[in-house]
Amino acid sequence: MAENQTTVWKAFRGGLWDEIPVLRLMLGLCPTLAVTTGVKSGLTMGLCVVFVLICSNAVVSLMRNLLKPHLRIMMFTLTIAAFVTIADLYLKAFQPEMSEKLGAYIPLIIVNCIIICRAEACAAKNGVLVSVVDGLAMGLGFTLVLCFLASIREVLATGCITFSETFVITVLNPVDKGGWFTPWGAMLMPVGAFVTLGLTLGAVNQLTKKKA
Amino acid sequence: MSSKIALFFRESWLLMVSSLFFGGLLAITNAAWSPKVAENEIKKFNRLAGGLLTGATQFESVKDISMNLGKGKTAAVDIRKGLDASGNCLGWAFVCEGSGFVDTIKLVVTTDAGFTKMYGFGVLQCSETPGFGDKLNIKDGFYQSQFKGVPTEPFKLVKGGDPKALDSNIVAITGATVTSRAVVNALNEYMQQIKPQLVKQGLITQ
Repeated sequence: MAENQTTVWKAFRGGLWDEIPVLRLMLGLCPTLAVTTGVKSGLTMGLCVVFVLICSNAVVSLMRNLLKPHLRIMMFTLTIAAFVTIADLYLKAFQPEMSEKLGAYIPLIIVNCIIICRAEACAAKNGVLVSVVDGLAMGLGFTLVLCFLASIREVLATGCITFSETFVITVLNPVDKGGWFTPWGAMLMPVGAFVTLGLTLGAVNQLTKKKA
Repeated sequence: MSSKIALFFRESWLLMVSSLFFGGLLAITNAAWSPKVAENEIKKFNRLAGGLLTGATQFESVKDISMNLGKGKTAAVDIRKGLDASGNCLGWAFVCEGSGFVDTIKLVVTTDAGFTKMYGFGVLQCSETPGFGDKLNIKDGFYQSQFKGVPTEPFKLVKGGDPKALDSNIVAITGATVTSRAVVNALNEYMQQIKPQLVKQGLITQ
């Protein structure tokens, strides 16, 4: 494989801002739209992606000198699928409610473009340390975006952020609890996901717009 | 010939070794966590069924009850007898599945001891559209309430009507007709096939 060395710091900064998935690379949009109905779902999905990215990047980096070019995508998929299955089993065993709520979106991490993109663009060309840091940063960047979008949608749709029956953060006091805020049910629908993501992308593009 | 075999192994050894390694890793993980997954499923079943069959303290599995899925395919049905502390049968609970709008819907359905009246259902698995199909998941919501105390005769899905009437007409969830129909069809199918088998085993009377 062609060597394209990058530094640990560059990999870390890249994942958290310069190449943050969803907002800059426009990758992982499907789970972003689907699981951001609640912060807890977004956080769980994000942490699963962090685990899969770190593990798959580490394994791909370790075997990078043995990879045959025509077999590399098959090897990436095999590696990613194994770690996604482990994450799925973990959720089923220890977080059954989240496993049910996220449904097919956890197994679908296998086809998440961010993971195969990082395996191809970073792990297959760099050492283990850089690859692991890249996986961590990309995963955290993805998680932050999911939590940010989910918090906007959940607050506007319900007035609060719910982590469990006993841990609820009320941001806008909703009418059904004697408050003033009428929840926007549409924010839980696909339209809410598209509008929130679109406005966030617009804001990020405005922030990063280069002067001519 | 031997050069072709050598080429095959030279090109694919990494793939074969990796497949064995990851297969082993998954087998170990599955062996370690599958008891916990099974325990979670049993806990959820008991919680849902216990909530609907008031007084049931234990559930006893019944064997050899199956569903004909068509095209010669059959599947075993997880049906259990709900017993009180003295061992008296309070009713039946079983897992019922149907194809929803997004994914398979799994329900825990409960009936009385004679299999003539439904006590209601609880949702084991539902990934239906938030705000529409997932209203099926609201405990004691208008859709679930329509099945409480109704006879186990075939249900009919209607788009309007009184959801509080205890009859076989089930009012669909607005904007989620596919989900509502999936539940009604699955319940009808399971009720029709399970009852004769329970009668045949002498567990209930006709």
